[in-house]
This record gives sequence, structure tokens and C-alpha cells, in this order.
Amino acid sequence: MTSIQKILLALLLVLLIAVPPFLGLGWQNALINVLISSLFALAFNLLNGQAGLLSFGHAAYFGVGAFAALHLMIAVEDGLFFPTPLLPLAGGLAGLVVGVVAGYFSTMRSGVYFALVTLAIAELFHSLAPHLEGTFGGEAGVSSMRMPWMGFGFGTIIEVYYLTLGWVVLCGLALWAYTRTPFGRLTLALRDNEQRVKFLGYNAHYAKVIVFAVSAMMTGVAGALLAISNETANYSLFSGSVSAQVVLQTFVGGSTVFFGPVIGATVFTLFSFLISDLTRSWLFYQGLIFVLVMLYAPTGIGGVIDHHIRNRRQLDLAKIGGPYLVALGGGILIAAGTVFLTESAEVLFGQDYAMARDGASGGFPAYDLFGLSWSPLNPVTWLVPLVLLCGGVFILIRARRVIDRLWARKDEATTADMTVGAGGKE
Amino acid sequence: MTKFAFGAAMALGAGTLGAATSQAEPLKIGIIESLSGSQTSTGRLYARAVKYGVDRINAAGGFNGEPVQVTEYDNAGGASEAADKFRQAVADGVNIIIQGASSAIAGQLTEDVRKHNLRNPGKEMIFMNLGGEAMELTGDKCQFYHFRFTTTAPMRITALVNAMKKSDALGSKAYAINQNYSWGKDVQAAVEAAASEGGYEVVGEVLHDVNKIQDFAPFVARIKSAEPDTVFTGNWSNDLLLLMKATGDAGLDVTFATTFLDQPGNIANAGQTALGHYIANNYDNAATPTNEFPEAYKAATGAYPIFVEGHSTFALGQLQEALSTLDFKGGDINVTNIALALENSVYQSPLGPISVRKEDHQTIRPVVVSKVVKGATYPADGTDMGFETVEVIPGEKAIYPVQDSCQMKRPNA
Amino acid sequence: MEFAIISTLNGVTYGLLLFMVSAGLTLIFGMMGVLNFAHASFYMLGAYVAYAVSSIFGFWTGILVAPIVVGLVGMAVERFLLPRVHAHGHAHELLLTFGLALIIEELIKLFFGDFPVNYQMPEALRFSAFEIFGTGYPFYRMFIGAVAVIMFTVLWLLLTRTRTGIVVRAAERLPQMAEALGHNIPIVFMFVFGTGAALAGLAGAVAGAFYPTNPNMGIELGVIVFVVVVVGGLGSLKGSLVASLLIGLFSSFSVGLDWSVASMFDVVGLGDWARSVGGLLTLELSSVSATIPFALMLIVLLVRPAGLMGERN
Repeated sequence: MTSIQKILLALLLVLLIAVPPFLGLGWQNALINVLISSLFALAFNLLNGQAGLLSFGHAAYFGVGAFAALHLMIAVEDGLFFPTPLLPLAGGLAGLVVGVVAGYFSTMRSGVYFALVTLAIAELFHSLAPHLEGTFGGEAGVSSMRMPWMGFGFGTIIEVYYLTLGWVVLCGLALWAYTRTPFGRLTLALRDNEQRVKFLGYNAHYAKVIVFAVSAMMTGVAGALLAISNETANYSLFSGSVSAQVVLQTFVGGSTVFFGPVIGATVFTLFSFLISDLTRSWLFYQGLIFVLVMLYAPTGIGGVIDHHIRNRRQLDLAKIGGPYLVALGGGILIAAGTVFLTESAEVLFGQDYAMARDGASGGFPAYDLFGLSWSPLNPVTWLVPLVLLCGGVFILIRARRVIDRLWARKDEATTADMTVGAGGKE
Repeated sequence: MTKFAFGAAMALGAGTLGAATSQAEPLKIGIIESLSGSQTSTGRLYARAVKYGVDRINAAGGFNGEPVQVTEYDNAGGASEAADKFRQAVADGVNIIIQGASSAIAGQLTEDVRKHNLRNPGKEMIFMNLGGEAMELTGDKCQFYHFRFTTTAPMRITALVNAMKKSDALGSKAYAINQNYSWGKDVQAAVEAAASEGGYEVVGEVLHDVNKIQDFAPFVARIKSAEPDTVFTGNWSNDLLLLMKATGDAGLDVTFATTFLDQPGNIANAGQTALGHYIANNYDNAATPTNEFPEAYKAATGAYPIFVEGHSTFALGQLQEALSTLDFKGGDINVTNIALALENSVYQSPLGPISVRKEDHQTIRPVVVSKVVKGATYPADGTDMGFETVEVIPGEKAIYPVQDSCQMKRPNA
Repeated sequence: MEFAIISTLNGVTYGLLLFMVSAGLTLIFGMMGVLNFAHASFYMLGAYVAYAVSSIFGFWTGILVAPIVVGLVGMAVERFLLPRVHAHGHAHELLLTFGLALIIEELIKLFFGDFPVNYQMPEALRFSAFEIFGTGYPFYRMFIGAVAVIMFTVLWLLLTRTRTGIVVRAAERLPQMAEALGHNIPIVFMFVFGTGAALAGLAGAVAGAFYPTNPNMGIELGVIVFVVVVVGGLGSLKGSLVASLLIGLFSSFSVGLDWSVASMFDVVGLGDWARSVGGLLTLELSSVSATIPFALMLIVLLVRPAGLMGERN
């Protein structure tokens, strides 16, 4: 890490420590969720980005960690002495144990089969949990209450926030340090060429089990943090959508860069926090963004940023800034057009409108959107999104051409440098 | 006076005047519902009915000198999202939380409210539960600030048994098929408990996975071999629909005694197979003595109240009743007093009086038993079928005894 | 006896329905190595398209149009979307189909609402095929089964007896070799994907009239279809058929059996002990009938990942 990156991270940490007491409860809670999702995504990416093992069932270890922490909390409520801030250890331990067993079996396979095994394990948990009411508490789940410790009541959100921040930073540092150890390098080797690893004398299967277990352990800690924050957990934590969310977040953020998953988790969590009460189609937007990122930025947001950082010396940043802004403008226009169409469809196909039509004897009454009234029969209503979309696409294509040219020039310059250098030496 | 001083004096005067008028604290209601995800259809009905109820309160002058404010929070059908939205509601200063679509989320919210109240004395919140019928909510999870404005499994089954026996539709052999979670188990237990009073024998019972079974034909085969007259089921959504379709396809001649047949889409999808079956619920349009309530609802929202909208409106009506006995004189709202007022309130719904039982905050309320017929007064789902009222069982008859597990802690004075 | 016969009939027809949906999935995976997460959404799309078309033009038009529309969607996906992420590996292709599944599901909810829609079979098909043990057996179930069998036969003949089929099978084994021989492989892949999608769409159109057509039908069937495809062997059509029948029969029979591990212990006299331990030991087979397929999938993946009839690779 360069010194600039270290300074930026330190600055981020200072902000995370200093700012939240001044934010509202809603934002504090959102930040807690951002931190928990970030840890979950980082732990997932240990397995996925570094070891090259795509797991579709990480919710299993997340849920196991949450329930383990809750049972410990219940024991503390009943009198057992255990410091509240150390509760996530229970989640980590549970995640580790389950991870070793699950990992042993899953890593017997690779590729798609590995993914399917992890999926099957998570689905088994999901199906069996509602029946084992002693451990998983039926559909209402298990609930508990944070107990005070050493003068801290842990009754307010801000205290939970600092606890979560502490653990996430600790685990994040641990995961970062892991990549720097020889075993961390071995993990990368497992992804790149497992056979060579075997030739070097390592037992690849055991190595993979260890990686899986570490990933599951950190996931368990994340689950425990969720349990501490919500003071409850039920079997829906094992569901396929929880596993899917972490996969989406990691890939949108970028699985090839260490901080990519954090970016993805932050974007998704904040998106749902801000948008979910504004529109009922927010799941659609989320899916659309995901597909667009997969198509046009397969290395994720983190990958794109990383690409720019690596090439910052060869790129003429001043020249490229302009086209980027223009492209952004085009993107915003396209987004506006899409949102308009989606929200209009939401209204027009909804029940309220069907009733309004009954009231207007089968006609097409006007509807309200964004504070204005639109009539479905008026061509202007459809002209607006059409113009937005076409305009946006047009601008985006033009800007893209300029950007591509600038990048190509950078590549030419690099090649020219290399040939000149070679020629010069002669 | 110079222009400036005059202007300043006016501004100051206006400011104090404004401050005086804006001092009244409005009552804030938060609907934390499933507005996206799989239970959306039900969640949106709850939201619509609650908003209608709040509109009625505001039309009558609001509360505490201000209109009552209502905010919707989407919990997407998930318990952790519900917890997040709860915290958002706390941040927004909400006084009363309302939820109905999910029993699991109701269980979550009542605990959240309880812990919040413990940790923030003076800033309590009330949880009005419009649809969580799990017994534990008025059992070991009962608490002073939770009120259940709906029926439970024993209430519905008691009503069904009474009404069907009276109209000779019950028979002597009953089968119970339910979903394998707390609600289904509650229904099964209630069917067993009502056997002696109903004069029937439970010839078989089965619990199945929730919303996972695609093919109910094997279950129908099991039911057929037991030869019951009536089949009791608490199933909802796909589980009910598929069960009834499979029974219809097999040509099995049984009477279904259900709790959720009126869920939108069920009658349309089941078609002819729905005819002749029974349901026990909180409200049905055909059960009202005059059509005043359904017509008023239709005038305001565009359609007659269906499924959960009726009793949700009654709950808000009961809140209105309770609020009318309080006067905070434009000052701070004391939520504990609202809860005490709710405890003592009696709401005269079109179907009968609804009161609150102090020991566990279960409402003692009438239960409607209806039958699906052709050419009903209020057709369902755009078909020619609908519900015809068989009997309205009054609250005192339908109610279940207080559970021993409820040890409610009351606030001091 | 009655239970056994009825359960067998039900199991076979349900299994054939599963086969209709999983046939396309296993075909696509076998050809292109892409596990299409959007497959169950194609099934749902087929049902909704059939519903929309049949409410205006009648049931049979709906059945005809739905697979064509879904097939076109499938081809578009393969032609325009998948090649872009191909270079980044199988994981990205998988995820793209996953994102597509989300979008399709949300779009359907946007246009058709969250309630189940009233997609009914025509009156002409609503009768009992035969009487068995006093109750009628619905003809439509046999209809679904018949469509599945016809589909399987047509596919089988296409793949083994026609020139196109040979090219497709060659493209599955050694795509580059087939391309070198002059065949247009991208078109072949597009065609296969489209066919797979069309099959799922047909399954949706036919089954949606029998089972409720609602926005959750994709998720509900989706996971079971994965189990079927894995157990049968990824890429094997015959395996898919066998596995579907197996799981269909199992689902049917297990519902009627209240066996549990504790009741098995009764045989050796340890039944009461097992019951007092509780937990997993007292779970009845009928309550966990939807769980066992996942256990089966796990076992197959660990013991014999090629499935019942897949090829070892």
C-alpha cells in the first residue's frame, strides 16, 4: 500500500469514529449494516477472490454465527459471566467449526460442483432449521437482550456501532494481514494452479479446508455482530437470498481487489437504505444495476478504480476528466428515463390505477408522478423518457468513443516508450 | 419606529406565534409492512386500510391539535429489514407501530418495542398488531405495550365449529391438515381441543412444509383414506390453493373449514371447487347489518374492503375511540396513557363490540363464519362467487382463556 | 395398495413436470457449461405469457406462443448478453443469469402484480381421465405427462437422428473442432439456449394452468430443478428424466409416510430413547419431505458428481 492509500484509510477510520454520534439513529443503524455487510463480503471474497472458490451458500455460516451469539447472549442474560464485547467470538467459533466440516466436504469438488455443494448445505440448514425449534426457535426465531458490562449499557445504537466498528476493523486488518502471510500467497496459488501447488508438496485439499474455515469463521463473526445489533435471529438468515446478496455485493464491488467487496457492500446497503422507502420497484433497480455492472464493468467498481490508479501516470487525467463527466451526464439521463418508465409502469399496472380506470368508465385517467400529472394518452408523456433515453445513449456513446481513444493513446505511448527504450539502448 | 425595527418586531412576533402554534406534538404512526417481496399483496392491503383509518381520525380533527401523521416503512417481508425499519421509525419519533402481514415479524417487533421501552423510559412506543395470530404474542411474549387487534387460531376454530355444527355442516369426522410452523400447529391444537364441544372425532392430522409443496395430490390421497366429513386447515396462499385444487381434481367430497379462503386470488384461482366451503375471519362485507361501512370505504379508496382491510380499519377506529378520551392540551404525548386508554376502549364495529382484555391485551371481538356461494352480494376476485354469512359469533363466545404463560408487567401508576 | 398406486401415478406426473423444466437446464449446461439461474424464470415467464395471450386469444394459442416468445428471449440473452462476460469465466456467466432471473421476476411483478393470476385450463380439458378407487383422476395431469413424454421423444430424436443434432452434440464435445469443420458454433449455441428456454416456457405454459401462476413460482420450482439436474447428471437428458421421476415419486410417497428415525429405532427396541432425545431423531418423513432432496443432492455431489447418468469429467 502506498502512503497515500494509508493516509486515505486512516482518514476514513477517523471519520468513522468521529462522525456517527452526530448522525440520526437511522443513519447510525445503516452504518452498522454497512459494516456488517462489508465484513461478510470480505470474508466471502477470501474464498472467492483469493482461493477462486465461488460459494453459493455462505449464509449457512452467517446464520450459524448469529444463532451461536444469541444463545450465548441468552446464557449471559441468565447469569453467565461473559463480557458483552467479546460475544462475536462465539460466532467466530461456531463459524469455524461448521466451516471445517462443511469445507472438508465442499472442497472435495471444484468449480460449479463446489458451488452446488455449498448451495445444498445452505439449503439443508434452511429447510431443517424451522423444525429444530430448540436451537433455531421456529419462525419467530431466537431473541435475547444485550447485557451491560463494565459500565457500558449497550442499550443505545451508538454503543453497538462502536462495538461493530471495532470488530470489523479488527477482522478486516486480520484478513489483510492474512494476504501478506505465506499461507495467503498459497491461497492465491490454489486459485491459479492447484496442480502446481500439489507438485510443490502441499496437500491442496487441507489447504482449501483451512481457507474455507477461516472464511467461515469471519462470516460467523459478521453473523454474530448482526445478532448483537438486532438482538434476534430466525431461520431466514439461512435463505438463498442472503447467500445471493453477498455474492452480488462482492462482484459489483469487484472481487479482484481487496477493498472491492467493501465498496460493493456499502453501495448495496446504502442503496437499499435510501431507496427502499421511496419506490416499490427498488429490487428491480438493484437487479438492473447488477446486470449492467456485470456487462460493462466485470471487474466491479473496485476493479475499475484500481485500473485507473494503476494507470494514473500514463493517463492524461485532465483530458480524460471532461469526457468522464459527459459520460456520467449521459448515464444520469439514461437512469432518469429508466426510472420514469419503471415508475410509470408501476402506477399504470397497479391496483389503484385499475380502480381509477373503473371510476373513469374504462378510460385512461391521468396519474401523478414526481409531483406532476401525466396522461397516458398524451404523447408527451412517452416522449419524455424517450428523449431522456435516446439523449443519454447518444451522449454516452460519443463520450465513450473519446474515452476509448484516450485510453488507446495511453497504450500506444506505453508501447512507444518500450520500443524507444529498446531502440535507444542499441 | 424605523422600518427595520418594525420588521424585526413583526418577525419576532410572527416567530413566537409560529412557535406557539407549532408546539403541539402530532401523533406519529408508523406502518412497518411487507411492501415488497413475497407477502406484498397482503402488506399493501394493511397499509391502505390503516391510511383510511388515519384519514378518518384526521377528518374528525386529528389529535392533540394536529393531524395524525402516518409513515410507511417497507420491511420487504424480512425480520432483519423489519428491525432496521423499526430503528428508522424510532429515529423519526414514531409513537405507534402497526404491522399485520407476518406473524414472525410481529414476534420480532413486539420484542423490539419491549426492549426499546425498557431502555427509553418516557419515550415509549405502542405496537398495534393487526395480523400476527401466533398464540405466544399474548402468551409468553405478552407485554403491556402490545395489543392484538385480530383473532387467533382457537377463536377461528371455535367459531367455525359452533357455526357449522348449528347449520349441520360439521359432520362427525374431521381431518386437520396444516403448515408445519407455529400457526399451523396452533390450528391443529385448536381442532383437537374443540372436538368434544363440536361432537366430532379427529380422524387424522398432518403437518407439511410451508410453501414448498407443489403437489398436494398425495395429501389428498391420505385425506381420502381417512374419510372425513370436514377438513380443517389454516393454510394460506399457495398451500391453500393447491390443496383445494387437488381436492377438487380428485373429486373428493369434503367440506373445507378454512381461515384464509378470502385471500385475494384464492376464489378466482380455485374456481368452482371453492363453492360450499367455510371460512372464519374478522370481517366480511356481507356480515354487516347495513352497507354503510363498505360503501364509505369504497367511496374513499375505490373498492369494498377485502381480506384484512375491514378489521384493520376497526383497529384504527378503536384507537380513535381511545384518543377521544385523552387530552394532552397540545403538549407532549404520553404514550403510556394512550395504552391505558386503549385498554379501556370499546369500539362499536358494524359486527359488534370490540373490547380489550387487560390480562393479555387480546381484543375480545366477533368472528364471522361465511360460506362460498354463487351470486353473492359482494362478489370476490371479479368472479360470480362470493361469501354468504352463516353466523357472526359474538366476542364472548369466541374468545379463548388467558394463557398461563402471560405474565404482563404493568407500568407503575 | 391404494396409497401405493395413487402415489405412483401422482409421482410420475409430477416427475414428468419436473423433467419438462429441467430438460432445458441440463441441455444448456451440457452444451455450454453455463448453469442458467434464469431457467426457472423462463418457466415463470412462459406461464405469464401464456396467461396474457390466452386471455385474449384462447388457451391453445397461449400454449403455442409462450414457448416461442420465451425461446426468443433465450436466444437474445445468449446472443447479446452472455458473450460479453464469457471472457471473465463461468462465475460471471452464472452471475449474469442470476441477475437476469432477478430482473425477470421483478418485471413480472411490475406488470402482473403480486397476487396469483387467474390462469385456468380450458373447460374442454377439465374432466376425469378414469375412475380409480372411487375418485376421478384429472385428465390434465395426464396431459402434462403426455406433453413431457412427447417433448422428450422429439428432443431425443432430434439429437440422435438428425444432422442438426449431430452438429449440436459435436459442438458440446469439441466446439473448436466443430467450428474448424465449418459449422457456425455461435449460432448453434444460440439455438440450443433458445430451445432450452423454449422448453421451460412450454412447461410453464402447460403447468401454469394447473398449478397457481404467481410471482413466486420461479423460486419454488427453481431449487428443486437444480436438485434434479445434479442428481441426474449435468448434461444428460436421460439422467434428467430418471432423476425427475425419482424425485417426483419420492415427494409423492414421503408425504404419506410418517416414518422417523425414532420409529426405526422401535425395531431394535430403542424407540423411546430416541424420542426422548428428540430433535432430528423425531422428525417425521412427511414433514421434511421437501428437505430430503437437498440431502440427496449433497450425497450425489460428494459421492458421484457426475450424477446418475452423467459423464465423468
